Amino acid sequence: MKSKKGLFNPDSIQEIRNETKRWEKEVYPREKERLEVFETLSGIPIEAIYTPEDTAKMDYLRDLGFPGEEPFIRGVHPTMYRGRTWTQRQLAGYGPPEETNKRYKFLLKQGANGINGVFDYPTLRGYDSTDPEAYADAGRGGVAIDTIEDMRILLDGIPIDQVSSSMVTCQPIGNISVQSMYFANAEAHSIPFNKLTGTSQNDFLMETVVAIAPEVLPPKASFKLSCDAIEYCTKYVPRWNPVSFAGYNYREAGCTAIQEVAFVIANAIACSEELIRRGLDVDRFASRLSFFFSGHNDFFEEIAKYRAARRTWYRVMRERFGAKDPRSLALRFHVQTAGVALTAQQPLNNIARAAYHALSAVLGGAQSVHIDAYDEALCTPTELSSLTALRTQQVLQLETRVTHTIDPLGGSYFVESLTNQLEEKIVALLNEIEGMGGIVRAVEKGWIHKAISSEAYEYQKAIESGEMPIVGVNCYRIEDEKLPIELFQVPETLEIQRAKLERIKKERSSTNVQKASDAILRCCEKDGNLMEVVVEGVKAYVTEGEVTKVLKRYYGIWNPPLF
Amino acid sequence: MEKRIVKKGIRVLLARLGLDAHWRGSIVVAHALRDAGMEVIYIGNQMPKEIVETAIQEDVDIIGLSSLSGNHMILAPEVVKRLREKGTQEIPVVLGGTVPPDDIPILKEAGISGIFGPGSSLKEIIQFISALGKK
Repeated sequence: MKSKKGLFNPDSIQEIRNETKRWEKEVYPREKERLEVFETLSGIPIEAIYTPEDTAKMDYLRDLGFPGEEPFIRGVHPTMYRGRTWTQRQLAGYGPPEETNKRYKFLLKQGANGINGVFDYPTLRGYDSTDPEAYADAGRGGVAIDTIEDMRILLDGIPIDQVSSSMVTCQPIGNISVQSMYFANAEAHSIPFNKLTGTSQNDFLMETVVAIAPEVLPPKASFKLSCDAIEYCTKYVPRWNPVSFAGYNYREAGCTAIQEVAFVIANAIACSEELIRRGLDVDRFASRLSFFFSGHNDFFEEIAKYRAARRTWYRVMRERFGAKDPRSLALRFHVQTAGVALTAQQPLNNIARAAYHALSAVLGGAQSVHIDAYDEALCTPTELSSLTALRTQQVLQLETRVTHTIDPLGGSYFVESLTNQLEEKIVALLNEIEGMGGIVRAVEKGWIHKAISSEAYEYQKAIESGEMPIVGVNCYRIEDEKLPIELFQVPETLEIQRAKLERIKKERSSTNVQKASDAILRCCEKDGNLMEVVVEGVKAYVTEGEVTKVLKRYYGIWNPPLF
Repeated sequence: MEKRIVKKGIRVLLARLGLDAHWRGSIVVAHALRDAGMEVIYIGNQMPKEIVETAIQEDVDIIGLSSLSGNHMILAPEVVKRLREKGTQEIPVVLGGTVPPDDIPILKEAGISGIFGPGSSLKEIIQFISALGKK
């Protein structure tokens, strides 16, 4: 532990305190305040002014330090954006894989540095496109994947040994098949697993809380699948990030910034404990746990949130798990600008909103960013809206020079004070979850569901009352507005997927399919690592829906507390 | 499927269409309707067949559907069609979610009583449902 020294000389602090009191009493009241309450979006009071006194208790070397060093709050890499700027990772996915493949190639050609695949609702939830529950959602919200052939089509012509791929697989039940198809497809193309770089989402809260739907896998089973994928990648695909704790989606569902960080860290703690129980050393997997946050409206709170998340994670990894590898101690994260903050009204205003959201992510030290397209409150992005979002990233990266120094808001009395307060509240919430028996138990009890839904309701009430202004919605509305944009139409998907599935089911060896399905069931029975058998299964053209059926037959289904 | 009935008053069945993963809108509306004194039966993601069967079993006054996935043009009219087949077309159907403006006349033509797109206020939704429920 480095020595503990305050940031300022105690005599100066006393003098500043006296002067602040004088100013507050004599000068400030000369003018009237515009609002009754000034607070952050998560409800932390905001003072009129912050002074050295607010950061006086900090020890620079212990609490801030330098980029690439403990406690990593000023940045996870030594040079940050002076060395390499963040990855521009624009989401894309819709319709059948044939169509999404074209959009990937378009975005890469326009300068995106990685692909970011989003999957349709049936794929996320483990259904084939032709399932009776799924037909109306095939190709919606993402690309449809049913078999390894779809994965081959999706990635056709994309050098996955050079370009990193993010796979927004969301739920462990969908992830286990989709991820297996990705790896099996790489193997079929003779790409060694140690050349594969990328991230999959694979977050059990996505299955049991955020996508809240009846008849999902029970929390323990979903959590097991998530850990199986992490264990598999740790052993065989060492440069892959096998989980991205989806704080973004918790936030979209209603969380505050504090809950967003506390829930992802509680989730990461549970996964770490399970992997250690399975015999892995913390430093073997911790550097590959990755985080996904939302870039929301409260500019400074978001910046402080990213910084607080880094310091909290550092302390958890260091103190609780005794991690030693600096890469285990550094929290790396992707940011997507908040979809929930977009408006369907006057949609071009969303370009400005998302640019501010992205700026906060960059000032907070994000490793990769997706900027939402202006039409996302209405439809899947068009080519024009996706390109505008990518160009917004490029303007931020190339024109503004915010990349030229590291952690430019470090040392701001306000931002440091807010970072400290957020960290304190995040730690308190982590302790509360710990007291309940951890995150899996908190999900089983429905506690997380209630916490998120009541925040979502409060947020909406604040918009209704006008307390939270939303331009174009509760102020500056244009009545009978005519939409100034073209809307995207999802291309035909179901029939294309149906034709492929019918052909594949005729052509594949039913003996091999039966053997693979039996192997999955046997693996469930002996509590083995399911990813190892699913990877083999998808090579035999077992469909995603068939994998799901075996898993649900063994683990049963769970109905989360809906309301 | 879990059901929870809260308070007495207009009975509203709320469901999310198909496999749509967006939860926030429907749950916020559920809270608001309950606070406005209605009974809310929230059944989460369901297909039209289950929605109609539950509506009849629970003898609800109104069905509220939520969809942000874009499946509304297929599934919302199917709910109305199935209600008609069962001879229970008097139960009005209301839809909320990301409904592009061009879809609204088509959905109304198909028998959807009210459509609430993004940015709709809870106040309008409550007023609309109260008026429908009292008929």
